[in-house]
Amino acid sequence: MTTSRVPHPILAENLVRTFGSGDDAVRAVDGVDLQVEAGEIFGFLGPNGAGKSTTVRMLTTLLRPTSGTAKVAGWDVSTEADKVRRSIGVALQDAAIDPLMTGTELLRLQAVLYGLPRNIHATRAGELLERVGLTAAGDRRVGTYSGGMRRRLDLALSLIHEPSVLFLDEPTTGLDPMSRKSLWEEIRRLNDDGTTVLLTTQYLEEADQLADRIAIIDNGRIVSQGSPADLKAEVGSPTLLISVDPTHLAAAREILTHFGEARPTAEGTLGVGLVDGASGVSAVIRRLDEASIPVIHLELNEPSLDDVFAEATGHRLEGAEK
Amino acid sequence: MNTDPTLTLTAPQDLRSSPWAQTSALSVRSMIALWRQPATVIPSMIFPLFFVALGTSSFSRAINLPGFPVVDSFLNFALAGAIVQGVLFGSITGAAALATDIENGFFDRLLVAPTARSSILFGRLAGAMAFGAFQTAFFIAVLLPFGLGIKSGPIGVAVMILGGTMTALGVGAIMSAMALRTGSSEAVQGSFPLLFIMLFFSSAFFPRQTMSGIYGTLANLNPVSYLIEGFRDLTIDGLTTWAVVRALGFSALLAAIGMGLSLRSLRIRLGRQ
Repeated sequence: MTTSRVPHPILAENLVRTFGSGDDAVRAVDGVDLQVEAGEIFGFLGPNGAGKSTTVRMLTTLLRPTSGTAKVAGWDVSTEADKVRRSIGVALQDAAIDPLMTGTELLRLQAVLYGLPRNIHATRAGELLERVGLTAAGDRRVGTYSGGMRRRLDLALSLIHEPSVLFLDEPTTGLDPMSRKSLWEEIRRLNDDGTTVLLTTQYLEEADQLADRIAIIDNGRIVSQGSPADLKAEVGSPTLLISVDPTHLAAAREILTHFGEARPTAEGTLGVGLVDGASGVSAVIRRLDEASIPVIHLELNEPSLDDVFAEATGHRLEGAEK
Repeated sequence: MNTDPTLTLTAPQDLRSSPWAQTSALSVRSMIALWRQPATVIPSMIFPLFFVALGTSSFSRAINLPGFPVVDSFLNFALAGAIVQGVLFGSITGAAALATDIENGFFDRLLVAPTARSSILFGRLAGAMAFGAFQTAFFIAVLLPFGLGIKSGPIGVAVMILGGTMTALGVGAIMSAMALRTGSSEAVQGSFPLLFIMLFFSSAFFPRQTMSGIYGTLANLNPVSYLIEGFRDLTIDGLTTWAVVRALGFSALLAAIGMGLSLRSLRIRLGRQ
């Protein structure tokens, strides 16, 4: 195998992808810049339709960028697509796996597609099945696999040629918590072995748990980028969430403005970034009490990625798990 | 996080898979799918035999009609129609599977790997060809004990199997072009009535010489008629140059047209991405 030293295995500059033309044109990705460091797990966080998958499809050569440039593993995705494909592993959304074939058969097919020497096909397939805990199910048709098993097989398929860069597009969407955690562990192990991982997700916890750095994307634009800790630190103060009777909503909102900046929340709830932190809660309650506004529910949250998202976009991450 | 800022990236650039090996592996996959989904292929094996049985039992005296070719039995006449009917219907299965690959994302999995783009199509078509060869041999083998006689002998049978294989390639390629254009298995399966109409307005069930009016005109214009007659000549006339040319020539022409269309559709689909 040839080797190369690339400090930034994923680099994108002003990446744009437009669908349609004229008045109907939709700018799904609108000037994305990315600089993923070698050996990191990079999280791409955003709601459905934000442009995550379109960006990944461009970086993995499945879509041509409308404009802008991108290099993956040092190769240009537009002009050196074949070299990019040989360097990367990709697990796309929905784990598109032929249900009529067995796990072993699919791995061996993948080995042929990537040109692995024939004499190692069986060994490599066995190793990967063992790695993802599917040895016992290797000779079963994929149609009989659970969602979690399919995802793990999908991951194994993406690793057949020991790629240096791995793209995982929403790898745990639809999985139960146990399967999700098991996949997280495998992704961490891969990263420990030196694989650079770009992972898209709409789960805040997933991004928080796995990613060394995160880019938050909304409406095709990256609105914030950094390590989860740094991004949360930028938000600063914790968020106080308060529910009051709807008739008192306006009055309560006015009172809260004295304690910090309003923060976006779900409808019917008020949110404020408490400048004084936890020590400011009693003062808020006192003022609401003086105004005869009964508090139905009160919650103080340390800054989360959801707050980061809300700060950057003005709305909460829809459908995201906190 | 692995903290080495300039981690050595292993780029398996020296791994090379030949398009032939990829096509071969993908054709095996295509055949596995047929084998493991008997419900999708059995109709294309059973219906032609049903039509042969129906025709032989009901129209046995039709061979005495003026214009009917000199033939020992209606069964000998009907074989060619059964082969082409089976191959036409069978070709839908492979193309629908290609469309399903597009729908469910397996096509993207192949594209994101260093797979030769033509191998994706040829792998699917190689599976269709193998099935076409099998169908042709199957119909002959099943009908032989019921009195089928093939005047061109074993060589003629081999030519018919080759013709069936090329017909499967041609029709499979045309159907694959539709699959690549639409990306919809429903659209591909929706072509079944069209294929049936083409078969119905051909010489599959009766010779063109016995037809008249619009039916005869359409059968004369229908390329399926000429495809069938090539196979029929081998069955009832023997191993003549004209019979071989008709059996292989029309199927080769169909294959060439189909391949052209499907490769163009593949280019268009890849260009859209």
